[in-house]
Amino acid sequence: MLKSNSMFIKRWWPAATIIIVFAFAPQLFETFWGRMGMYKLVLLQVFLANVVLAQSYRLMTTTGDWTLCHYILMGMGAYTTAILAKFYGVPFYLTIPVAAICTVAVSFLIALPLSRTIGFAFFIGSFALGEFVRYIWEKLHFPFGGSRGLSNIPRPELGQSGDWYFVDFSSRMDISNLYYGTLILAVFALVLLYRLDTSRFGNAWKSIYSDSELCESIGINVTRYRILIFCVAGFFASLAGSLLAYQWGAIDPDNFGMIEMVYLIIWVVVGGVKTYWGPLIGVASMSLVFELTRPFDEFRPLIFGVILISSLVFMPGGLEVLIPRTTRFFKNLVGTKEVS
Amino acid sequence: MSFLSVKKLSKHFGGLIANNEIDLEVEKGEIRGIIGPNGAGKTTFFNVISGFYQPTSGSVTFKGQNISGKHSSEISKLGVVRTFQRAALFPDFTVLENVVIARHLRANNSLVSAIFGNQKKAEEANVKRSAEIIEFLGLGDEIESLASNLSHGHQRQLGVAMALATEPELLMLDEPVAGMNSGEKAVMVGMVKKIRDEWGVTVLLVEHDMRTVMNLCDRITVIDFGEKLAEGTPDEIKNNDKVIEAYLGADDSVA
Amino acid sequence: MGLDILPQTIGNALVLGSIYAMVAVGLAIAFGVMQMANFSHGELFMVGAYCVYVLYTLFGWPFELAVIASFPIVALIGVIYERLIFRPTRGNVLAGFMATAGAGFILQVLISEWYGVGLPKSVQVPYPGGSDFLMTAISWQRLAIIPVTIAMVFGLWYFLTKVKDGKALRACAQDPEASVLQGIKLNKMTALAMAISGGFAGVGGALMAPIVSVNPYMGHDYAIIAFIVVIVGGMSSIPGAVLAAFILGFIHTFVSTFADSVYGMMIGVLFMAIVLIVKPTGLLGNVKV
Ligand SMILES: Nc1ncnc2c1ncn2[C@@H]1O[C@H](COP(=O)(O)OP(=O)(O)O)[C@@H](O)[C@H]1O
Ligand SMILES: [Mg+2]
Repeated sequence: MLKSNSMFIKRWWPAATIIIVFAFAPQLFETFWGRMGMYKLVLLQVFLANVVLAQSYRLMTTTGDWTLCHYILMGMGAYTTAILAKFYGVPFYLTIPVAAICTVAVSFLIALPLSRTIGFAFFIGSFALGEFVRYIWEKLHFPFGGSRGLSNIPRPELGQSGDWYFVDFSSRMDISNLYYGTLILAVFALVLLYRLDTSRFGNAWKSIYSDSELCESIGINVTRYRILIFCVAGFFASLAGSLLAYQWGAIDPDNFGMIEMVYLIIWVVVGGVKTYWGPLIGVASMSLVFELTRPFDEFRPLIFGVILISSLVFMPGGLEVLIPRTTRFFKNLVGTKEVS
Repeated sequence: MSFLSVKKLSKHFGGLIANNEIDLEVEKGEIRGIIGPNGAGKTTFFNVISGFYQPTSGSVTFKGQNISGKHSSEISKLGVVRTFQRAALFPDFTVLENVVIARHLRANNSLVSAIFGNQKKAEEANVKRSAEIIEFLGLGDEIESLASNLSHGHQRQLGVAMALATEPELLMLDEPVAGMNSGEKAVMVGMVKKIRDEWGVTVLLVEHDMRTVMNLCDRITVIDFGEKLAEGTPDEIKNNDKVIEAYLGADDSVA
Repeated sequence: MGLDILPQTIGNALVLGSIYAMVAVGLAIAFGVMQMANFSHGELFMVGAYCVYVLYTLFGWPFELAVIASFPIVALIGVIYERLIFRPTRGNVLAGFMATAGAGFILQVLISEWYGVGLPKSVQVPYPGGSDFLMTAISWQRLAIIPVTIAMVFGLWYFLTKVKDGKALRACAQDPEASVLQGIKLNKMTALAMAISGGFAGVGGALMAPIVSVNPYMGHDYAIIAFIVVIVGGMSSIPGAVLAAFILGFIHTFVSTFADSVYGMMIGVLFMAIVLIVKPTGLLGNVKV
């Protein structure tokens, strides 16, 4: 018992540390930057939503099916949340799950024809079907607001600003509560995604990537599992979408376009998808690059284009391939012999 | 009513007739061999029975149930499981994990319980049974090895273990000893016998290696150019003129 | 609205189908040889349009010469793609595809930096006026696209079936391993395929420059359509691409004329989804070149 407890702590302390740091981020930001800290907090909230998005995309790729419509699935979550909150005053604890369920339904419809294809045709097919959904948003003024989209999406009412954890940026725009809501939901989603990755379903999906013929022979219905993973990934993408819709307060079809999708691909390609940690590294490093290139934002696509090409050409496995090397390096540095 | 009954099964690829009206009856508990020269249509025959290809015409009945045209994963759920001519396995997983994945169907937990439930507990029975199967097939020493690191012989054995892990009633082996040395062949022959004798699994196997087939099978069916040429006990096949002319005569490996 | 606009609509559909064919054929030929899939095919189209803007509008070259020049210029970009992206990622379709998305970003930024994003560039129409026969009124500028497309597709067909390098390219598309054994140089073939691919996209963009507004992001819509076209036609089939281009040209024109252009795009996508379900290999998936 004792042993397994210590194992548990050993495995989870890095994650726990990170969560605690994130939990105190509003206080830290306020201390360092005063009221300006709030804008950094917005970045951090978006970052958390992006982490969930990237992690859900990584889940999608476990069967080897890369899609080009993941941003559309996220947009589905954002739109549903926005519509429910704006027109019907539905509170956040209902909008988020309802949006997720709607997105799962849409994912299912998209996955049905797509599951007939593999590899490249799947990739392109998802692109076209995603565009189809985007045309619907553009075309229907009710409820999607047409090409102007929806604005004035009400923030979730999570109590008075500063209710939680004594932060108060003393502003009507205070987002510290939304930040905490996001943090909780993101941790929840990331834990679920982690468990899913190591579950028997995760193994089945990985084995489909490895050898789908063999999977069929041992009774795994490959088509059904590929549709399932599409829906599950859509579920988590929708969570990210809901969070971003609340943050942005306004959405339109262009928020979920191909350029955004390419940035998502850059995150996971740079980080890698083989392990759970790849997308986290990818989002973190690329968000950093994104912030650092703020002064020359007209060159940003060029910079990211170069990053994407060079990581595909020179480091096809993504940054995650460095993890074992780095840990080994640090272990050697500390002087502990590696036990294999 | 036979156990597996194939009636006038045909499979065409465009103009090419890979299988032409083949009949086959397999009894419960027997080891049946299918032989024939390369390109005779044996693998195609397997693919049609196991649902990987749709038959052009004809029917396959298993325990009285028509399974032709069913989805391959469904057929394997019904108890008809095949292996591949190649060493098919999940290279990034260990031997144990490979077999556990193959028992996927037996772990009847839903997506929700897979996420929220205690995964270790849910998998415990499966892991135990998987280890048993691995032990039974004599792969016990390799249980923690990465599948990609196994020798060719062990990889093929693992393929059989994975098929067996689905708890089939009819096991279909496509050239189980292809590419093996004589020692590995002997192990595989013993393994197949054991599977039938101790676990009562019916075996249908395609084989090229005559010595293996003659040693192992109760009855043999000969396929040539997509058609059934002959059928009988190993002795009958050995002395069948048509077979000698069409196949055995050309093959030096005949004992 | 009635039958009297039918000839007009058919004429428009033929024009649109031609331009789709020009763009999609380039995608299909590149995909046919070693599965080079170019995400930024639309950006090559855009560069073709800028060739006309620069050479014709800014430098005052004759329009025809500017269009002809767009072929080698964009073909060269295609060859650079092959060398820097497709060759290192060979064997991994998706990697090449994603990397070209990055290349598209780069081209957009470079073009914006050189010529400014600001106002879309307008290219004056070199052939004013239009047809007024057979109850149609289509500008000469648009009608000119049809014969150019026919000439180029025919030229490509001639090249692939009669010229030595073209035959080698076809052999390579059919069976790369066997063709390598016969002494065909794979790298030369992939570069050639990308050159043709880029050239077609470039000429397509060049022809469209006077008709549409020229800006760094103009390629996007054409890229989407070209991808739908090649999926419907069967990824690497050139006849398939031409056939599907005209089918989509008709779908888009007719739905736009009688309803709305966004519905046209939607029905085009639905059509693609149906083809994927009924025949995942595409209409002419087995007809290679
Ligand atoms: N998927 C397929 N498409 C077209 N032809 C096939 C296909 N599968 C097998 N064939 C052809 O069918 C014939 C029988 O092949 P196969 O069943 O693999 O023979 P065997 O297993 O007896 O060596 C061969 O001529 C082979 O080329
Ligand atoms: Mg065979």
